[in-house]
Amino acid sequence: MLKNKLIAPEGTRDILFEDCTARRKVENKIKNLFVSRGFSEVITPGIEFYDVFSSDAHGIPQEKMYKLVDSKGRLLALKPDLTMPIARLAATRLRDQVRPLRLFYSQNIYTITPALTGRSDEIPQIGVEIIGAGGKRTDLEVLVLALEALQSCNLDDFRLEIGHIGFFNTLIGKLNLDEEQTEEIRTLIQNKNYPALNDMLDRMEDKKTAASLKKLPALFGGEEVLDEAAEALDCPEVASYLEALRSLYQSLSELGLGERVSLDLGIVNRTDYYTGIVFKGYIEGLGTTALQGGRYDTLLSDYGKEEPAIGFSINVDAVAKVLLPALPKNPVPDVLVFAEEGFEVKALLEIRKLASHGFCAEFSTFENFDESRRYAIKRGIPTVYVVNDDLVEVRLS
Amino acid sequence: MKPIRIALTKGRLEESTVQLFEKIGYNCEQLRNKGRKLILEVPDANLEVVLAKAADVITYVEHGVCDLGVVGKDTILEYGGSFFEVADLGFGKCRFALAVKKGTDFYAGYKVKTIATKYPGVARQFFADKGMDVEIIKIEGSVELAPLLGLSDGIVDIVETGTTLKENGLEVTENIISLSARLIVNSASLKLRKKELEAVISKIEAAI
Repeated sequence: MLKNKLIAPEGTRDILFEDCTARRKVENKIKNLFVSRGFSEVITPGIEFYDVFSSDAHGIPQEKMYKLVDSKGRLLALKPDLTMPIARLAATRLRDQVRPLRLFYSQNIYTITPALTGRSDEIPQIGVEIIGAGGKRTDLEVLVLALEALQSCNLDDFRLEIGHIGFFNTLIGKLNLDEEQTEEIRTLIQNKNYPALNDMLDRMEDKKTAASLKKLPALFGGEEVLDEAAEALDCPEVASYLEALRSLYQSLSELGLGERVSLDLGIVNRTDYYTGIVFKGYIEGLGTTALQGGRYDTLLSDYGKEEPAIGFSINVDAVAKVLLPALPKNPVPDVLVFAEEGFEVKALLEIRKLASHGFCAEFSTFENFDESRRYAIKRGIPTVYVVNDDLVEVRLS
Repeated sequence: MKPIRIALTKGRLEESTVQLFEKIGYNCEQLRNKGRKLILEVPDANLEVVLAKAADVITYVEHGVCDLGVVGKDTILEYGGSFFEVADLGFGKCRFALAVKKGTDFYAGYKVKTIATKYPGVARQFFADKGMDVEIIKIEGSVELAPLLGLSDGIVDIVETGTTLKENGLEVTENIISLSARLIVNSASLKLRKKELEAVISKIEAAI
């Protein structure tokens, strides 16, 4: 107990100097982009009722949530997700606002990750939601926005990977499996675990559908995937999804974003949550997903209003981590201003003047010049101004 | 070009993996005479090899500091994680099993049973699926000792041939799942370096 007061809880950390600069830089660039496309910011509370995240259809596993109890004994959660509170907001206070709603957020989420894996429990996310608009146009707008958001951060290489939840949901629907088996197949496809997937599907009676499902995780890559899929997936119902992806891919290519885009028909994360296109962003030099999004047309009905919606979120820390090495180290001030007894006000006026010319000037809190000078040398501040009747500039070599 | 980095499990799976690499035609000189070096090169293949403990292979691949990994299914089941598990390498075959002292009936009676294991996650899942409450004690070394000393009613452990069990008067009551070595891939790497990684993966698959 005694020592706990000296350290940050597991899964969290203090963010210092350059790390803050990197994080704010990412946030600002992306925020400016969102604002320029007509999105408005919302901030939802850091704690919400547990019920917001615990719906039967779309809930988040309870072991991943930090929970608290309010003064009336009701269960609260540190929010593990930003879309659900926004869905709640859209279905309540923003119920009668003009649709579509274009909202963006930049807040932390909290999630319990396994201990000692180096993962963070506190994740800053920035993202958008378009609520009340379905269809191809909105899908395209959001994909472009996701690509431009990553592009705005000056990353060397990044990729946005697009899929459609309809492939899996249509095919699995034909097999008439119980929830447990469906989940098992979903996990195997998600992990691209070909050997176990093949074993499992070989036991199915509907050989045709099983054969198509087996191929799903291998269908990823460039535009050629769509032609491969048309042949490999023996199922006319999925033709419309292929067509949707083809048209999106073509539009993105025309916008000059084609080489940043790839396809993966085996994206099957949160199949009960997403209802249409799904996408993930990867950055060179980062082993994890930096961006996640998709269409979720059924979530809003959990909060009492049925309407289509689509959005994505970016892990700000992940992007910042990639940018960090290229950023300058925490800068030191250009000048330390030392005021002799009685000249403090003059010195502060001088600092104001320096700042207005774009210099970073620090006020010396020391009583005499020698101490000020020693401090400046230790911090690596190159110049000391001594303010008295006059103003003397001392350069430290 | 940045080399592809592959993490291999030290020990039990190491020899078979190196043999597999030799079969592919990789120059395994450094792997055979590794000395104290931790990162080894496969010349002419743009491949770097890291030797690590099983659980660390998963950690390295999950964080993306290694693109590929060779690790036992036992470790994957125990530690989980998010990565692609693309191939069954066919060697390192064994199974998870529940074993007890010869002649005892593990399921008899209503007393809560105690299980000693090196794999608490696997043991917990196995009994949770049965809807059975058990007490699990984690043991680091020879798990077979626990029932002999009277610490536990049974053990959940890897069984290859069953000889160790037999010599200590234990027997398998139930097989849990078959295991073997797997090839795992970092999910971001597979997407960003698809061509290079697929080339390596298909070479490995062809040599199995």
